[in-house]
Amino acid sequence: MGCGTCVAVCLAGGEKEVSILASQIRMTLKLDGQSVQVDEATVERQCDREFLVDLGKKVNVSDYDMVISMACGAGVQLFSDVYDRSTVAPGLDTVFIGVAEGPGVWTERCRSCGDCVLGKTAGICPVTMCAKGLLNGPCGGTRHGKCEINPEMDCAWAKIYERLAARGGLAQIRETLPPRKNSRQAFPAVLIHEAYKRRLKKDDTIV
Amino acid sequence: MTRSFREALDSGRFLVTAEIVPPKGTDVGMVMSAIKDVKDIVDAVGVADNPGAVMTMSPWALCRVIAESGGEPIMHVSCRDRNRIALQSDLLGAAFLKIRNILCISGDHVSFGDHPDAMPVHDLDSIQLLEAVRDLTRGQDMTGHPLQGMPKFCVGAVANPESDPLAPQLLKFQKKLQAGIDFIQTHPVFNLDNLKPFRNEAREKGVKLLAGIRLLVSEEVPRYRDGSYPGLFVPEGLLAEIEGAKTEKCVEIAAQFIKTIKEKGLCDGVHISAPGHEEKIIDIIKAAGI
Repeated sequence: MGCGTCVAVCLAGGEKEVSILASQIRMTLKLDGQSVQVDEATVERQCDREFLVDLGKKVNVSDYDMVISMACGAGVQLFSDVYDRSTVAPGLDTVFIGVAEGPGVWTERCRSCGDCVLGKTAGICPVTMCAKGLLNGPCGGTRHGKCEINPEMDCAWAKIYERLAARGGLAQIRETLPPRKNSRQAFPAVLIHEAYKRRLKKDDTIV
Repeated sequence: MTRSFREALDSGRFLVTAEIVPPKGTDVGMVMSAIKDVKDIVDAVGVADNPGAVMTMSPWALCRVIAESGGEPIMHVSCRDRNRIALQSDLLGAAFLKIRNILCISGDHVSFGDHPDAMPVHDLDSIQLLEAVRDLTRGQDMTGHPLQGMPKFCVGAVANPESDPLAPQLLKFQKKLQAGIDFIQTHPVFNLDNLKPFRNEAREKGVKLLAGIRLLVSEEVPRYRDGSYPGLFVPEGLLAEIEGAKTEKCVEIAAQFIKTIKEKGLCDGVHISAPGHEEKIIDIIKAAGI
């Protein structure tokens, strides 16, 4: 079961990857002498109930003994919510929110912490880009501008300093940033758009 | 030794502290033997907090034992393994156990240690921890709730004068000085000129600076070279000198650093570490003529 959005762009769980995985499963089972029917389907977004409900109009999901969802962890869970009688297994490990650096290369940029400091840190996130998530400057391990845990990874604080020094903005990081508001990362998180709040009636549940 | 470390800091003489790594296990026999050798000749004994992210006994426990045996412990407090609740709670416990000195550090990343899959906590960074300590010593927790009985601490922080680039490290150092500390202890330093900007800033704020001295030993040279020790940057020339050298020679090299620092007034004192060779700390102090 593929997803046509983020995981497709990341070459991990789109239509093409679903096709490859399905072929591999068919070959493996055939070599093992098992007769199992393996079908493929991909929806636009597995994290959107509307697309999953649409799928049910074309396919009887409960006919299947197992569904392997190639979506991110959110998609796997929503699929399981919508089709609760089928066994859903994750086909991927969801690792991070990142950017595409180039063909086939992605880097993590945001930990969705709910307490953004990018305005003070020259657009470089110390929560994500510093291995210790330090908010007030580098640890003692910076070497040649690189991180102590990976000599190929830039030290976030070396980059923040360099960028701010170039634009005369060091005063921004001379002030001590307070401890993170971890309460904003309390999970499971729920976000309701302001404009939609009034639509939710008193007795409505969110999911 | 009965004098407190705070009194030693105020005395104006050249200070010497030694670092001890608690045992991995409950047998304190070996570390206590090293502590017994040095406790009367050093101004304080620093007790590391799971250094290198290698799990060892709680530093507060060993600090208490050192205090009971007449030594003056400095408890290292790392932000790596505890959230803000646990950090404050342990600090209150330490104060109750009459541990008077603390050193606030970020902590080496878990990936260097023997539990690489552990959660690196870093709920607070070292500066936020210093501010939390200041709150506690003013009678409130970091969210402003009053304490019943407040702790008193002589508070230290660390800096690495050999960080590259240096400027961000100096900026953080300045923030630490502003956070209201009593002393700064540096990572081991091998190019002593690197101490100067830190010494100048610390003097201006009236904060005592102790230079980190580390006993380098031949068998560890490959690990110094490959960056296995975070924040430890040993120049190749010195590594070549250490490689194949007998321990006596290594002790002499460490002692020479101390002599130079003392003679040139580069720092207010030294903090000596010799992981795995703590029994050599006394030899280093003697060889340095202290």
